[in-house]
Amino acid sequence: MKNEWLQIVLIILAPVIGGLIAGFERIIRARMQRRIGPPLLQPFYDFLKLADKRKMMVHSTHVFLGLMHFLALWFALAVLILGGDLILVIFLHLLSSALLILAGYSTRSIFSHLGANRMAISILAYEPVLILMAVTIYMINGSFDVSVIFSSGESLILKMPLAFIALLMILPVKLKKSPFDVAEAHQEITGGAEIEFSGIFYEAVYTAKWLDNVFCYTLVYLFGAGNPLLGAGLVVGVFLYVNALDNSSARVNYRQMLRFTIGVALPVAFINLLLSILHIL
Amino acid sequence: MYPFIIALFAGPVIVSGLLFILPKSISRILIITAAVVFSSISVYLITRTDQSLQIAVPAFMHQAVVIADLALLLFFGWIAYRRKNLLVGIMTILQLAGTIWLMNQPAESAGFVFNIDKLCLFMFLLINVISGIIAVYSIRYMEEEPCSGLRKKYFMSVIFWFIAVMNLVVASDNLEFFFLFFELTTLASFLLIGFRRDEISVKNSLTALWMNQAGGIAILAAIIFLRYNNAGEASFTHLLQIAAQPGFMLPVALLAVAALVKGAQMPFSKWLLGAMVAPTPVSALLHSSTMVKIAPFVILRLSPALQGTAVSTVIIAFTGFVFAAAAFSALSQDVFKRILAYSTVALLALMIMMAAAGTPVTMAAALILMLFHGLSKCLLFLNAGIMEREFHLKQSTDMDRLAERGPVTSFIITFGFLSLLLPPFGAFIGKWFSIESMGGFAQTSKIAGALVIAAIAMGGAMLSLLYFKVIGVLIARNGNDDRAKPEHIHPIYRFTNYILLVLIVAGMGGLSYLVTEFLAPVIAATLQQPVTAFTSHGSLHIGNMSMPLLPLAIAFFLLPVVLYAAMFIRFKKVDRVKEYMCGEKVNYSFSSYYFSVEKITPWFTVAGILFFITLLAVVIL
Repeated sequence: MKNEWLQIVLIILAPVIGGLIAGFERIIRARMQRRIGPPLLQPFYDFLKLADKRKMMVHSTHVFLGLMHFLALWFALAVLILGGDLILVIFLHLLSSALLILAGYSTRSIFSHLGANRMAISILAYEPVLILMAVTIYMINGSFDVSVIFSSGESLILKMPLAFIALLMILPVKLKKSPFDVAEAHQEITGGAEIEFSGIFYEAVYTAKWLDNVFCYTLVYLFGAGNPLLGAGLVVGVFLYVNALDNSSARVNYRQMLRFTIGVALPVAFINLLLSILHIL
Repeated sequence: MYPFIIALFAGPVIVSGLLFILPKSISRILIITAAVVFSSISVYLITRTDQSLQIAVPAFMHQAVVIADLALLLFFGWIAYRRKNLLVGIMTILQLAGTIWLMNQPAESAGFVFNIDKLCLFMFLLINVISGIIAVYSIRYMEEEPCSGLRKKYFMSVIFWFIAVMNLVVASDNLEFFFLFFELTTLASFLLIGFRRDEISVKNSLTALWMNQAGGIAILAAIIFLRYNNAGEASFTHLLQIAAQPGFMLPVALLAVAALVKGAQMPFSKWLLGAMVAPTPVSALLHSSTMVKIAPFVILRLSPALQGTAVSTVIIAFTGFVFAAAAFSALSQDVFKRILAYSTVALLALMIMMAAAGTPVTMAAALILMLFHGLSKCLLFLNAGIMEREFHLKQSTDMDRLAERGPVTSFIITFGFLSLLLPPFGAFIGKWFSIESMGGFAQTSKIAGALVIAAIAMGGAMLSLLYFKVIGVLIARNGNDDRAKPEHIHPIYRFTNYILLVLIVAGMGGLSYLVTEFLAPVIAATLQQPVTAFTSHGSLHIGNMSMPLLPLAIAFFLLPVVLYAAMFIRFKKVDRVKEYMCGEKVNYSFSSYYFSVEKITPWFTVAGILFFITLLAVVIL
């Protein structure tokens, strides 16, 4: 019973947690660059600042789809935290991305279009790996339900280390971190699909990114679900890894990204699946 | 029940004849009435019937079938001669040889010829409802076709004649009857692809002809094999009984080959892509919604014999490959109808795969996919036609800013694509079950299973990329004029669109009811074993698989409702800005991404041929 309350609190507070992650991220990145960095609550200050701006939009379809992107993502996250079916979670996440991609396409802005194109391509880069990961979990647990991962008490990382490595390879794509941040690419396409949002409407897309943080790190936590300490350790480790990578690498173009995720990450996840099927791991 | 079935067999033929004679105004009424009547009958049959019905025919009908076969083959021969087409000629000669050999065999004991079971009733529903909608739609579409009045009558007539043939082909139990009707669907597709009589239409219709004839030869070979071995009656029912005995897997595999050809699996996908030159109702009817569904239908029929055999493993691996390969090939396409065609090939592969796996869950997935893919693809094709006729658009890149000129059409197409891709739509549910049930398949067939899962994952992601590409062009709009005024399209177009939309949404809402009440009995009757399907604790259970319904119900508000709202919602009291152009004043033409895939696609054909060889080899060895 207590567990259910925890889940609900987690879901409701997810944007706040995501915001804190974002704030922490900025500090960590700054420290890696020997800067002090902004205060932890800087994302929330930005949030308040945005709310105060003049309301502007390109057209209503665009801003509405942006808002719905946020809601859909929150919903996908809720299903994940409540222990729902992993395949369903992946597709609900796809649904939320689809809404942002549609928003990106709906304006007549080149940057927005380019960003939406690249987001669609990013989906091709990470989705197959996630599905293979989910099927591997099924092979081990006999169920696609996330709740079974928790109740089984086993740590998946021991059973599927390669899938975890594949996840590490695609996380920068999903979190839009360098070297795979083509979809956002501030210096190049000025934020991609996000560019035409402003003020209060940008809020939705901005906080959706916080939710994506929580979503991704929850996926990481699943690998250590059997042992909360291990899970937390993994999350911290992956957090440091993603930010160190973001700091130390240059952006590649989308072809190189696709070549890497399809050519390396996918086979790695596939080998893990094969090993699980053959009961070697 | 009996008179209704006769009505479904003979009714469309009569309508088809009448359409030739009657004047235009009366034929309109006749078409609409016929569409309503046949759909109602098919709905009535599947809701009210529990028993299967076997129909025998008088002995002379068997003779008539042989004569009809010969007449048809002579016609094909004449086509081959007139068009100087060698391949059609070869296929015809082979078929002719087989038919003549069969004629000289002693007549077998005539059991029943038609077997109207649950699966057949399900197909009746699919065929008559969707074909009815398309027939009504064609009334308007053909008015604008640049051809003579007689040709227009001929077109409508062929459509109804085709509906009759389809009803007959799914009801046939006797393989000789099945062969004849299978060939008649081939004939229909040949006639309708060549309808526009220009050079490319003729060329593509001949390709469709010889490829589908190859499927016919496979059926003929199966019949000859059964006769030659004195295996008794050549019928599906009998074949399923004896298939377990050693040596009788070959006819099953041959029938599966025929199905794969009809289902346009590589390397036979070429005919379906070429078929897109035909008028749009034809593409919708034959090449997406109904005729190609013969493929998963036949595999479903054979599934009790296929389950767990090497043949089924090869089919599953093969269709997994086709699913990914077709999705990949589609990425270089720009013509809207060709994009639809490729995605049809891919999704047919998925349906066939699910049917071949032959467990209750996978069969449910196959049936759900067949039903909802039929509806969604039909909707998309009808709108492809509307875009051609009302907006003069064929290339997906030209569709830029359709959202301004035709917000309703743009919404419907977006809806149609997303209904193939995302929760909570039926087609998504099918895909979801596919992934989940392949997990079970992988536990038994290890490496093949893992490869198939990888193929589905890749193919699915590529299909989403493909759909986004089209939707992206459609949904773009200018900020200057925010008001979306629904465009005026012809009432018939609007009406047919709305019916399909309602069916898709209703199917989505009533999915658990649909599965437990209608699809589960179909599966139980086909597999001849009880199937558990029930709803409890807010999730739908089929076999050992369960699907939570609440997330889907919420997804319903997140997708269809949001999409509709996004098209028409308007925020007031918000200032407008121009798009950020980085300070430049250049007019950009918006386009989408392309992948050049030409280097790899020829290998797909090779791989396809190898798979077909393997399929027969595993049986013989």
